[in-house]
Amino acid sequence: MAARFLSKSSSGSSLLGALGTSLVGVGSVARQTTSKLTYSDIFFQQQRTFVQMGTKLKVVDNSGAKRVMCIQALKSKKGAKLGDIIIGSVKEAQPRGKVKKGDVVYGVVVRAAMQRGRCDGSHVRFDDNAVVLVNKQGEPIGTRVFGPVPHELRKKKHVKILALAEHIA
Amino acid sequence: MRLEKCWFCSSTIYPGHGIQFVRNDAKIFRFCRSKCHKNFKMKRNPRKVKWTKAYRRLHGKDMTQDSTFEFERKRNRPQRYDRINTEKVLQAIPKISKVKATREKAHITKRLSVGKINRKKGDRRELEQSISLVKAPSVLKEDATLTLPKQKVTVSYAQTENTPMEE
Repeated sequence: MAARFLSKSSSGSSLLGALGTSLVGVGSVARQTTSKLTYSDIFFQQQRTFVQMGTKLKVVDNSGAKRVMCIQALKSKKGAKLGDIIIGSVKEAQPRGKVKKGDVVYGVVVRAAMQRGRCDGSHVRFDDNAVVLVNKQGEPIGTRVFGPVPHELRKKKHVKILALAEHIA
Repeated sequence: MRLEKCWFCSSTIYPGHGIQFVRNDAKIFRFCRSKCHKNFKMKRNPRKVKWTKAYRRLHGKDMTQDSTFEFERKRNRPQRYDRINTEKVLQAIPKISKVKATREKAHITKRLSVGKINRKKGDRRELEQSISLVKAPSVLKEDATLTLPKQKVTVSYAQTENTPMEE
């Protein structure tokens, strides 16, 4: 099962040595505007999967961190989806912030490239993987949230993040 | 429940269908099916893709301006529920769509009628000029019923004056 997820990893994230094999992510090729579906077109139609161990996520609040690498997706063996909580390690941080590089933090996935089904039958998907850092109680560490957030957070009881959001998708 | 329009092909998206893509600038793109979604990912411009409504409207293939489109404008103001109003609207919707369909059909037949006339003209010309490929001219001379009646074509005198003299 792990091998299957390796093959489906999104480009840009390299799965770590703990899992053994390393896979060259199928990167997005320059997009063509021909009308026929060529060989290279198939390569950038990516198969998006869960946020799992090793996934690098963008931090979209002002807590100080810039990038976080997921080390554990809570509540699911497969991985985290939109609205789930993950444990991450801060890989890149701003010099003066509430968190430093190397910290282990909790985060809520607010944007996921993998589509999530809504209760009315539709699916939503975002452009990138983004996370908002929270503490163990689920309250955000930062004071601002950038970019759109889904209203799936309301069901997951992350009301504070919704209150800080500038746009709810 | 709201019936949305597909961003790429402009068809209606019924509940339970399609994917919604939210870009980081908070713009939402809705697609009716994966065909439209994949075309969007390929960065194709719907105005250049022949089967979309955007192309057809832009190139005058489909009706663009009509009073029936006014009924379908998106109004963001929520309306208080009024039973009589709702009943009237539900009765009016099939009538409006019928009128719209007939008008669209009329637009298309009007657009295609020009080609029909030209094709007929071309057929007549071909018949007059190349009938010798089918029947021998001597046979045509004997039997008057086999030739088309001669058509009178009025030529304005101004045209004949402007034609240059043949050397």
